[in-house]
Amino acid sequence: MIEAALDVRDLAKVYSTSAGDVHALRGVDLKIVHGETLVLLGPSGSGKSTLLNILGGLDRASSGSARFQDLELTQASDRELTRYRRASVGFIFQFFNLVPSLTARENVALITEIARDPMTPEDALARVGLSDRLDHFPAQLSGGQQQRVAVARAIAKRPRLLLCDEPTGSLDSESGVRVLEAIAEVTRDVGATTMIVSHNADIAGMADRVIRFRDGRITEVERNRNKRAPREMTW
Amino acid sequence: MKPLDRKLLRDLWRLKWQMMAIALLIACGVSVAVMSFSAQRALMDAQAAFYSDTRFADAFAQTKRAPISRLRDLTGIDGVTAADVRILEAGLMNVPGLSRPVVARLISLPENEDHALNRVRLTRGRMPEPRRIDEAVALKAFMDAAGVKLGDRLTAVVQGRAFTFTVVGAVLSPEYVYVPAPESFMPDDAHQAVLWAPRPAVERAAGMDGAFNTVALKLAPGASVPAVLADVDRILAPYGGRAAYAREDQASHAFLAAELKELSTSASILPPIFLIIAAGLVHLTVSRLVDAEREQIGLLKAFGYRDGEAAAPYLRMAAAIGLLGALAGGLVGGALGAAIVDQYREYFRFPVLAVRFHGLAFAGASAVGVMATLAGSLAAVRRAAALSPAVAMQPLRPATYRAGPLDRLIRGPAVDQATRVIIRNLERFPVRGLLATLGLAASLNLLVGTQFLFDSLDKVVDQAYYRTQRWSESISFAEARSIVALGEISRLPGAFAAEPVRVVAARLKANGRAELTRVVGLEPDGVLDRPLDDHDRRAPFKGRGLVVSEALADRLGLRPGDSVRVEVIDGRGPAAVLPITGLARDYSGFSAYMDRRRLNDLMGEGDLASGAHLQVAEDRRADFYRAIARTPQIVGSSSRDETVANWRRAMAEAFRVTVSFYVGFAGAIAFGVAYNTSRIALSERARDLATLRVLGFGQGECAYILVGELAVLALVAIPLGLLGGQALAHGLVAAYSRDEVRLPPIIGARSYGISLLAYLTAVTGAGVLVARRIWSFDLVSVLKTRD
Repeated sequence: MIEAALDVRDLAKVYSTSAGDVHALRGVDLKIVHGETLVLLGPSGSGKSTLLNILGGLDRASSGSARFQDLELTQASDRELTRYRRASVGFIFQFFNLVPSLTARENVALITEIARDPMTPEDALARVGLSDRLDHFPAQLSGGQQQRVAVARAIAKRPRLLLCDEPTGSLDSESGVRVLEAIAEVTRDVGATTMIVSHNADIAGMADRVIRFRDGRITEVERNRNKRAPREMTW
Repeated sequence: MKPLDRKLLRDLWRLKWQMMAIALLIACGVSVAVMSFSAQRALMDAQAAFYSDTRFADAFAQTKRAPISRLRDLTGIDGVTAADVRILEAGLMNVPGLSRPVVARLISLPENEDHALNRVRLTRGRMPEPRRIDEAVALKAFMDAAGVKLGDRLTAVVQGRAFTFTVVGAVLSPEYVYVPAPESFMPDDAHQAVLWAPRPAVERAAGMDGAFNTVALKLAPGASVPAVLADVDRILAPYGGRAAYAREDQASHAFLAAELKELSTSASILPPIFLIIAAGLVHLTVSRLVDAEREQIGLLKAFGYRDGEAAAPYLRMAAAIGLLGALAGGLVGGALGAAIVDQYREYFRFPVLAVRFHGLAFAGASAVGVMATLAGSLAAVRRAAALSPAVAMQPLRPATYRAGPLDRLIRGPAVDQATRVIIRNLERFPVRGLLATLGLAASLNLLVGTQFLFDSLDKVVDQAYYRTQRWSESISFAEARSIVALGEISRLPGAFAAEPVRVVAARLKANGRAELTRVVGLEPDGVLDRPLDDHDRRAPFKGRGLVVSEALADRLGLRPGDSVRVEVIDGRGPAAVLPITGLARDYSGFSAYMDRRRLNDLMGEGDLASGAHLQVAEDRRADFYRAIARTPQIVGSSSRDETVANWRRAMAEAFRVTVSFYVGFAGAIAFGVAYNTSRIALSERARDLATLRVLGFGQGECAYILVGELAVLALVAIPLGLLGGQALAHGLVAAYSRDEVRLPPIIGARSYGISLLAYLTAVTGAGVLVARRIWSFDLVSVLKTRD
């Protein structure tokens, strides 16, 4: 049997608001295999981002279990979650979230400084094709370049898990493809389990499995038999 | 309510702590003004009412003994509307319960109260029967401090004669609103008795039948004071008259006047500091708000709001901060003013000293406070007005940073990225950093600059009572006596050293300036009192040369080698031109010293002493005091230990209130600046910091980035604040120095320590308060928000 990188069982998340309870996740079961690339699709509010947040150690489930190796994420303390994110998780955000006062190299170094066995910032940036932009500040980079710095920052620590929330959401098609290529290449190199949340069904082609969400539930799990490189996809 | 007003209210609420920190500074500024002017008004009202009620004189003179018939001449002086002549004699008096004899001034009561000047005001008991020679009323302050009650029987020794009397009433007097002790300017109410008795009683006690030795004059409005004083001097000259002087030089009045001036000084030095810092903080806070809300401003303009309408809420916000601060300042200032007046009641004896609220000062300070906040917001408001809707609606690019000059410092792997963030932010916002640093420095400055008062007073006491003067007891004779008497004095119980002193009153004239002072004749090789130079070495006497205090030399424009005309007022009133041979460093009064024998040569009266300095064994002091109280020739006594203790007690009282205000105010500045700077940094960097949290940074690591900037600014501000504190101390020395005491601008390690502790506490408190918010970050939202 193949070892599961993440084991999610009957995971539920309820937000209490003044208008009543909102069920963001209603009992999700999912086993994610080591090295697998998942694309999570679904309309807004379907629960895909909530799942990503819980698996990334940013949010807590209301019930159920989400296990990463020996760590039960639903029971972990703040300190344990911080250590988990620091050691094992790489994040890529829709709006890049680079520190504007640090150069590309320094933004990556921000993470390599606190990681256990990182690659050098220069190596990470070379993998995303930005060797010639090491000393540029975010304001001096295009959106696509900024996102590629973010990819370098995420993979520099050789994460076990790479979580991408709408990574191409604020990029044009050309830049988006380059970012996805970077993600695909480097995750293959470092062997990370990758989850990409997106509105964009076209990027499903790069996934091993495509998970579809609706109303807080997984409605469909589709194994992609025809996995393609991002370059072959268009939108 | 219009939507924009609603938005203003919500913004104010959201930023309430920042707003309140700024309003606090406005409140400090306004409250100092309200406090000072209200206390001043209270004193001035009490003074005016008491002076007019008691017909307090405009001019005064003393003489040795003049016949009452001369009263007609005095009344006839042009510009004099009333003259009152009395007998005033000093002596010593034993009071049960006090070990040291009390210096008693015995004054004759006027026979016709209607024409009297400087009338006393009865607060308890009754006035003496006019014909009784064994009744007196006493100054209430003395009775309270010495524990003397109505009906007590006391005996004062005046001019060698015992005057025994019953205390029948307690009174207040405009001449003794404040009673400084001799050899000091602090009160020593228990040992300073002022007694008023019917004229026959005082005539008898002083041996002054049909004569007077003190004059008080009421002048017509617009009368020439110097002309009147000259006439008085001329009339009294044959009777041993000593220089007449105006109300400004009357001891009690002069002290009160100095206090009133000090209140004006406080009101003019401190508020501007607070208002300028508050304006700077408004500038930072509103600028940040306009930056953060540029999309909203653009949106409003896109909807058709005019530039002014879109920018007005920021102006109104600034005005609201100013108003809030002004109101709080008015309340606090009123309360502080009342507290000061309460304290004044212990020093200034008026029948009524009512708390006042200076409405005009409040209105004025409030207006200036609001204007300061409006001025602070102006740059940001103009930017909001000038923002084009199109620019405002464009998506925000990441803030532009570039490698600055400090980048050289942070090159290399030794510097971590978090530190790099801190340094780049400092480089990116130099004006903000500068403003914050200056604000923080100002708070430390205020702390150091006011804590120094304690060190300074220690130095004054040390210099006066332990270095220059090294006697434990000092006595004075009613009349200058032959040096032979010193043998008697040195045999007083417990005395193991004694040195004679000759003190004469004189007017020193040089460079067209004149100063009434005393010339102190000392033994050239004496050890109990010796003027010291600026290196703490004995300033030796050379021939007929004078050693004058630096302050007196300054006043008269004199330097060593110059000559000064000395017109003696006592005795036959000889005059001579004497050389200045040295300067003495002392911090209180104006003194001139010379060799006692040379002074006696000048006086032409033989080898005389007007008093003596003694060292008396501590365990024999009670015996000593008993003995001098029995010695009729001794009319004055002061004890170093008691003077110093009194001084310290009074200073501690006076400065405790003032200095705790300052510490509070300075803390408010440090806190306000630190809190606002950190909040602005947090609002700008919240997203970055939350991102770092997501990426695995701990709360502490994020807090380091957030407050690291504050820490750098706070550290840079320390040397500036310490230097500024020295400058402020020098400034305050100039502002607060009086003729009686000049504060040396000395700042000790203790003051630096206390100041730094208070400063770091305030800054750290503000930093912790802001950093705490990192612990409650919503990490999920950061993934979805743009900025």
